[in-house]
Amino acid sequence: MVTVRNLSSTNYVRIVERTLIPSEAVMLFGLPDVGLVGVIAASHIISELELEEVAYMDTDLLPPMIVLHKGTPHMPLRIFGNEKILLAVSEVALPADAIHRIMRFLVEWGKQKNVKIMIPMGGIPTPNRQELVEPKVFAVASTPQLVGWLEGKNEWQGRKLDKPFEILREGYMVGPYALVLQYCMQQNIPAVSLLAQAFYNYPDPQAAAMVLKELSRVIEIGIDISQLLEKGEEIRLKARDIMKRTERELTKMRKAQEYDIPLYV
Amino acid sequence: MTPESRKRSIFELIREYMRAIEEEIEERVREFFEERPSWNPRTCTLEPLCNVFVTPNEVIITADLPYAEENDIEVKPLNENLVEIKAKLKRKICFRDLGITHHKGEFSMFYCQVHIPVAVESNRRKVSFRNGILEVRLPRKRGYKIKIE
Repeated sequence: MVTVRNLSSTNYVRIVERTLIPSEAVMLFGLPDVGLVGVIAASHIISELELEEVAYMDTDLLPPMIVLHKGTPHMPLRIFGNEKILLAVSEVALPADAIHRIMRFLVEWGKQKNVKIMIPMGGIPTPNRQELVEPKVFAVASTPQLVGWLEGKNEWQGRKLDKPFEILREGYMVGPYALVLQYCMQQNIPAVSLLAQAFYNYPDPQAAAMVLKELSRVIEIGIDISQLLEKGEEIRLKARDIMKRTERELTKMRKAQEYDIPLYV
Repeated sequence: MTPESRKRSIFELIREYMRAIEEEIEERVREFFEERPSWNPRTCTLEPLCNVFVTPNEVIITADLPYAEENDIEVKPLNENLVEIKAKLKRKICFRDLGITHHKGEFSMFYCQVHIPVAVESNRRKVSFRNGILEVRLPRKRGYKIKIE
């Protein structure tokens, strides 16, 4: 089944669906950002849960490239999934000047598929990261009700959390996940972003593992992170080039604003 | 066209011109420094990811060195503005280990030269290696104090 949608007349954007997309799934995001936390976490989920490619984005907003896997071409921005999960993952740094259109399109597609909740997985740049034994994970939610749920104060969809999440209360968010939360808030789609303390521009598999540990409390899935931690050095070696290109795009997005102290009087 | 609108359009033109120059410079810098492989099979070296932070008292260089052995890391000032980092890998890495079959070669070391933007006392450097991250701290050279009258 193929869905073709054009968002604007100037740029070509469509999501091609390879199989029937389940309704009311959980939609995860693993996009290149600080420490490549989301991409590393997404790759691990794909291999652990043996997710299949269910759709891909076909657009001229991305660089003219394909990714080769097992000798065949693939689009760099793909959606993997099973009957319960949809996972958007990009193997290319998202160009800063196209980020709004790409993210708006992905969120709209998710809304069309009636997803239950959107969960962007990522990192918070932390200057003293190498001094941390275990990075902490913070949560950001799209509505006050979800914030209450994450704090363990109220129920959400018949569930109450035993252990509260640490909430990112004040500050700035910049980049693809800021937009997911913005569009979800505007369109009343539940969204919870999980962000681990991470290196700004070094691939951070440990931060990705911490996000996955916390993810299992939000959507009740079991993901073994031991393999991910074991393969840490290999991941850091392989991810150098995409990290470098991602850093360049983050600079264009003024990602360093996340260090800024907000003015609330 | 009123004098005001003519003035505005000239500023607009200058701004556009400046923006074009900035983009051109950025592109050239990127081509020169970044659009090249992060590996060199001739020297058997890989280029690590590096950062340089300048603080009021010191310059901090960090580098991500997976597979590096703490005892086989060498940090050497080449001149006043350049520090060389060499780190031997625990084992040789070939392209096949990185999932690539269309290139040949193997790598035994991380190598890079890091530019230091301010004057430092490189002989007073402190080097540490924790969780695969190298940190080099170089105290900044002290200048003279400006007397406030």
